[in-house]
This record gives sequence, structure tokens and C-alpha cells, in this order.
Amino acid sequence: MADHHNTRQHFRDELRRLEEGTLGGLDIIREQMDRTLEALEHQDVELAEMIMLDDDRVDGRYLEINQGILSLLALQAPVASDLRLVAALLHVIKHVERMGDQCVNIAKLIPLSGHEPPVREDIKGLVLRMGRAARSEVLQSRAAFATRDVELAADLSRQDREVNVLNREVFRLAIHAGDDPDTREWAMHQTMIARAIERIGDNAVDIGEQVVFVVSGLFREFPTSTAPAI
Amino acid sequence: MSADPDPKEDARTVSDISTRSEQRRARDRDARPTAPVPSAAQAAPGRAGHTIALEKLSAYYGETRAVRDVDLTYAANQVTAMIGPSGCGKSTLVRCINRMHEEIPGARAEGKVTLDDVDIYDSSIDVTMVRRVIGMVFQKPNPFPTMSIFDNVAAGLRLSGVRGVDLRERVEWALRAAGLWDEVKDRLGAPGISLSGGQQQRLCIARTIAVEPEVVLMDEPASALDPIATLKIEDLVHELKERFTIVIVTHNMQQAARVAATTAFMLNGELIEHGPTDKIFSNPNDSRTEDYITGKFG
Repeated sequence: MADHHNTRQHFRDELRRLEEGTLGGLDIIREQMDRTLEALEHQDVELAEMIMLDDDRVDGRYLEINQGILSLLALQAPVASDLRLVAALLHVIKHVERMGDQCVNIAKLIPLSGHEPPVREDIKGLVLRMGRAARSEVLQSRAAFATRDVELAADLSRQDREVNVLNREVFRLAIHAGDDPDTREWAMHQTMIARAIERIGDNAVDIGEQVVFVVSGLFREFPTSTAPAI
Repeated sequence: MSADPDPKEDARTVSDISTRSEQRRARDRDARPTAPVPSAAQAAPGRAGHTIALEKLSAYYGETRAVRDVDLTYAANQVTAMIGPSGCGKSTLVRCINRMHEEIPGARAEGKVTLDDVDIYDSSIDVTMVRRVIGMVFQKPNPFPTMSIFDNVAAGLRLSGVRGVDLRERVEWALRAAGLWDEVKDRLGAPGISLSGGQQQRLCIARTIAVEPEVVLMDEPASALDPIATLKIEDLVHELKERFTIVIVTHNMQQAARVAATTAFMLNGELIEHGPTDKIFSNPNDSRTEDYITGKFG
């Protein structure tokens, strides 16, 4: 059997370019999450506006990768591990797009509380902790995909359980936010923000599941990857 | 491939193939409507399929061993694709199934090939009968150049000595089953070679199935055809599997993916992997299969 590693070089280059573009989408999400956490921490309404505007970058990346994958399927008919990678990239870029939308959802909630909202520090602390944990999940999902590390991917479900616990805790505290209508409204917004962060974590876990699929050809849902309905 | 000493086994040889074939043909004739059959798929529904099994099959050209100890079962009424790089032994293997391989000087086969439970290499087996029940379609369409369209199809019947059939009816049936009838019904007397390449190949398929074989072997049947003619052949394969067990050798992996329920990958004379086609093309077990189908070596 003669080795011809240069066969289908154009195809391999294109597939690599699409994977880099997809994982680059996760880098954009990391930036968006950094801004989102900063805007949350400082109630920065202007920064929230920038997050919303910058979602165009995420959507643009989604469209670009999606089209690239369609072309690759149409022109190159990938099979076996190549086919699994292409299918996984379609999933991953969709998750990227969804995570971008969740950042926008959070950014839209920030101005609703005005510049000086009645803040309950315990709730805010938990939301920021959630945000940092979800950001860490996004980074880990990217690393797991890039290195095809199944262990690292499976570990995402462990991290995500912590995020889910925090989400329920935010909800519990918000219910007992007191009688002041402004505080209760703010607390209600925090549950919505927590929910959006929790969804970002779920998306990261789903990317981890795609890592397992690329490597093994098997799809298995990681345990407790989604939060119980609240 | 020695004769089985068991007398009961002995009894199930040529006459057995022959008798079963005659019975089946009689049954098919009864089942076949008197009106022209619109498609092969509708003819004789529910007939039993035939299974080919290879056991420790090896094939040699002189001292060169082209096929090594292949164990493989072709399921009845299924299409199995044989894929692998040039020289991997896939065509040689298929030619062992209807004993064409031994026609080459110095070539021989070892091991066992059974059609249902009949050893086709048994010394009491008539080779002509083997080739009648296991038909073959080749890479290049090879109609008899001096014969008309009609005679090309009838030739298979005449050559294999099939008696007692209405020749006209059978030729029409075979041309319909091969998807060619509507294109040639008004010029059956025209030379076979006046047809296009794709039509010629379907003519050869009609000639092969006119004798009502049980298994149809196809060695790169579409590699000399344009994409439309290729797709017609592939559609035809889908219809023919209702009646025949089909083995198709192909270099075109997309073709294997489109027509075959199971795919076998060969390399250097060995069978590397055999399984459901969607499994082979989405998640093969063997890294050599993976490397071949993804084009990492060629």
C-alpha cells in the first residue's frame, strides 16, 4: 500500500479551514462572554449595546461555515471520519450561533434595570460565578474539540452540573427577594440571565458530545447535561 | 474442492441446480402475468433468494496469489459492492464465483464457493450450468456485433440451451426488466451495436437475465458510461435485486454507497472489512478501510 498523503489535498485544506473557522467562532463567543460578564458586573449599558451589535459577527461566521460545509458536501462527498467531522462542525457552528444569541439575550436585559438598579449582592455574585463557569465550559469545549479529547469533553457534564446547581440557587434566592417591586423585578431579570448562562453551558456540553461522535462514531448524551425545568 | 463423500450431498449437484432452476422458472412463468411485465420488481413477487458463500477462497495466477483466504457470504436478494484499489483481487474474486477465473491459463482457485448449499466447484458440477445460474455483466458492453438487438438477448437463451420457452416473450420480458424495452421495441431487428453505450450495457444485462440466473455478478458495469447512463444502471440494479442476488465490483465509491446494502473492502487480496454500507462509509471498523475511502491512499 503506497502512502499518498497529498491525495485530496485541496479537500483536506478546506476541511481544516472550516474547522478552524468553527473553533474561531467559539473564540468570538469567549469575547462576547467576557463583555457580557463585564457589563453585568458594572451594569454597563453601553457595553451591552456593543454586545448586541457584535452579534452580527457571530451570525456572519455561522453563515460562512454553514455555506462552506454545504459546498464541501456537494463537491467532495466526504466519508467516514471526514463525514463525521463535517456533520459535527454543522452542529458546533449552530451551537456557536445559539451561544451568541444568549449573550444578546443577556445584553438586552441589562438596560431594563436602569443605571442604578436595586442590586442584591448575593444573587449578583452567583450570576457572575455562573457566567465564569459557563465561560470556562466554552473554552474547555473548544480545547476538547481541537484535540479530540474525549475525557476533557466528558468532563464538561461535571462542570455543567455546577452551573445547573447555581441556576437553581439564583432562582430560589429571587423568589425570596423581598417585597420591594423594583428589587423583585431586578431579581426576575437575574433569573432570566441565569437561564441564558445555563443554556450556554448546555451548548458547550453538546459540543463535547460532538467530540465523542467525531472520535468514535457514536452519539451519546452526557448525563445531566440539561437542567431540570424550573 | 473435492467431491463430498456423502451420497446425499452428491445427489444435490448438477441435477439439483438444474431441477430447482426448472421448477423456479415454471413457477415464475405461472406467476408472470400474460400482459407485458412493467418492471422486474413486479415480476414474480416473493420468490426465494439465493445465497452465495465463499469459504477460505484463494485464487492464483500461476504462483501469484491474488485472493487470500476470503470468507464471505452474499445475502440473498441483496446488492453487495466489492471495493478496493486496483489489483486488490476484487474482480478475480468475483470471477471465481462463476468459475470464469479458471479459464485463464495457469489460473486456479482453492477453497469453497457454494450457491445455497451446492458446491459449485464439485467435480460433478457442469461449468456451463454454473455460468447460467450465476450470470455476469462486464465493464465494457459487449453485445455480439453481428447480431440484432433481439438476437443478442435471445443468444443467451440459445447458447445455454434453454428449451420450451416462448423466445419472443422471454426477450421482451428481459428487455423490460433491463429498462430498455421502450427504447428498442420498434427496432428489435437493428444491430445491437447501433445502440448507445448505456443502452448496449442494458442490452447485455438483458442478455444476462434472459436466462433467469439466480445470481448476477457485475464487474464495473457503469465505469464506461456517462453519469445519466450510470444512474439508469444503478436504478436497474435496485429493481433487479428483487429477483437476483447481486454482486457489483466498482471503483466508484459513491456508486457502492448508492446501490449496495452491504459493502466489502479488499486490499492486497484479503478481505479487510464487510458490513452494512452506511456503516462502512460513516464509521468503518478498520483503519485501512478508513484510509482507502477517505482517499488517504489510492
